[in-house]
Amino acid sequence: MIEVNGLGKDFSYTTKEPGLKGSLKALFFREKKTKSALKDINLKIHEGEMIGLIGANGAGKTTLVKILAGIVHPSHGTASIMGHTPWERSDDYRRQMALIMGQKAQVWWDLPALDSFLLLKEIYQLSEEIYQQNIKYLSETLMISEQLKIPVRKLSLGERMKVELMAALLHNPKVIFLDEPTIGLDISAQKAVREFLKDYQKRFKPIIILTSHYMEDIKELCKRIVIIKDGQFVYDGELSQVQKMMGDEKVLTITTEQDFKDEKIQAFGGKRKSENVFTLSIPREKLGEMTAKFFSEFAVLDLNIQDPSIEDIIESMMKSGSK
Amino acid sequence: MRYLKLYLYFLRFSFSKALSFRLDFFFRIFMDLIYYFINISFFKLVYLHTPLLGGWTQPQVMIFVACYLVIDAINMTVFSSNMWWLPYFINKGELDYYLIRPVSPLFFLSLREFSANSFVNFFMAFGFLIYALISYPVPFSIGELLLFSALIINGVFLYYLIQMLMILPVFWTHSSRGFVDLFYALGLAMERPDKIFKGWLRIIFTTILPFSLIASFPTKIFLEDFEWSALGHLVLVTTIFWILMLTVWKIGLKNYSSASS
Repeated sequence: MIEVNGLGKDFSYTTKEPGLKGSLKALFFREKKTKSALKDINLKIHEGEMIGLIGANGAGKTTLVKILAGIVHPSHGTASIMGHTPWERSDDYRRQMALIMGQKAQVWWDLPALDSFLLLKEIYQLSEEIYQQNIKYLSETLMISEQLKIPVRKLSLGERMKVELMAALLHNPKVIFLDEPTIGLDISAQKAVREFLKDYQKRFKPIIILTSHYMEDIKELCKRIVIIKDGQFVYDGELSQVQKMMGDEKVLTITTEQDFKDEKIQAFGGKRKSENVFTLSIPREKLGEMTAKFFSEFAVLDLNIQDPSIEDIIESMMKSGSK
Repeated sequence: MRYLKLYLYFLRFSFSKALSFRLDFFFRIFMDLIYYFINISFFKLVYLHTPLLGGWTQPQVMIFVACYLVIDAINMTVFSSNMWWLPYFINKGELDYYLIRPVSPLFFLSLREFSANSFVNFFMAFGFLIYALISYPVPFSIGELLLFSALIINGVFLYYLIQMLMILPVFWTHSSRGFVDLFYALGLAMERPDKIFKGWLRIIFTTILPFSLIASFPTKIFLEDFEWSALGHLVLVTTIFWILMLTVWKIGLKNYSSASS
């Protein structure tokens, strides 16, 4: 169980004007500024839950994950994970936790993965039996048994990610932080990682916090999502409920007979999709009025009315932050 | 015990890595040979002009030279690679994976890379020390030799502590090297007998920048009449530096911002 109360993190930084002149000025006179990467976060996650943490770059996802993994100290607030305060970094907590960052490698680059695993076995003091059992399960499910004896630097990106997953999960962690585990992978590798995580979650029921840029990851894996914007949560709830929050909006896709002028559709708040197709979202009650208008102004070939997709909604929430 | 086992893994990894870079392997040995040659010649040259330097005769100074060469070789083998990478790790946010493991991150980061290349040089330096000890006109007792070995190990440790204290400010300055360049500039003080420093310089090199305590004090305690005060001084300063380093490390980690990818 994870319980977070009033958690916040401020970073201070100094600014400098560009160029040599700016540098000289900064040598003697510096403006110190503080930026809140996280503001007053409250979060509760139960046993066996898997949540998706979504946000734009710099929204605070990674900072939150790093605080919960015990790497970064928060500026204020409390957190308790299975009774431990993460940033005290007790051995007991670290033994039950795993962190995987898609952009930072943890296995020894020049050595075969199995060598790194042996070191991890020693670090986590795993018995030979459990070690062998986990290696077998993980390498078979990830279909990577063959590649474990090749130096990691010679593996493909997808294979490397699988090795990273193995390294992180060897000690049966109860809490797992996954920061962008599918970043840079091709579609089939993404899919393999996703399938694996699904299976793993079902089998061992750990708490998993997943951040990803790919909505596909989140949609496939997480029932509950948290959307974070400028260091604050703008949504915390079921993924399926997100759609209802915007239930009043409809998305129109209109195909016209000929090309149209950009200014004309922008006046309606529309977005060009291709040469003669544009889309816009409008409130449900204005639907009749607006469609009539389009038919009078454009030579409409086709008109399609849909509910907004989850991607669209989340994107707009990440930008506007409606609550 | 567990840490010893972990260290054996570091050794294994480092050796299999080093052996795959052959050219670098031989080049390092060549470089260090030149370094040893220059050091020994320098003092031989000095003794062409004076019978005593800092109160020591030539055979005594040869033991001193061998002493700091051994300390330097151990440092190069055990710590230097790790010390080289540490500021980079701190700045680039690469400490992350070391902090989440249930082992001391300080142990991991200080000893992770064993420079198998320099290991050969350690044998050369050690050989020279044996030679200097055998050529000494008076034989040494086992007790004296054991004491000297312990003092050398203390010297290595102190050398590491000073280095760390120069690197750790990187947590705040975010500069690329911390004050390590200062460390190398002043490090030369370690290669001179402590008695040649007088006045405030002597105070500095035996307290706040205790380079004289690394090799010169051990040699002094070993060769000259045993003095509890010198030994006490050595142990006290080492202990204070140890506590200081651990404290700075702890505060530094609180300040660690883990720069994001």
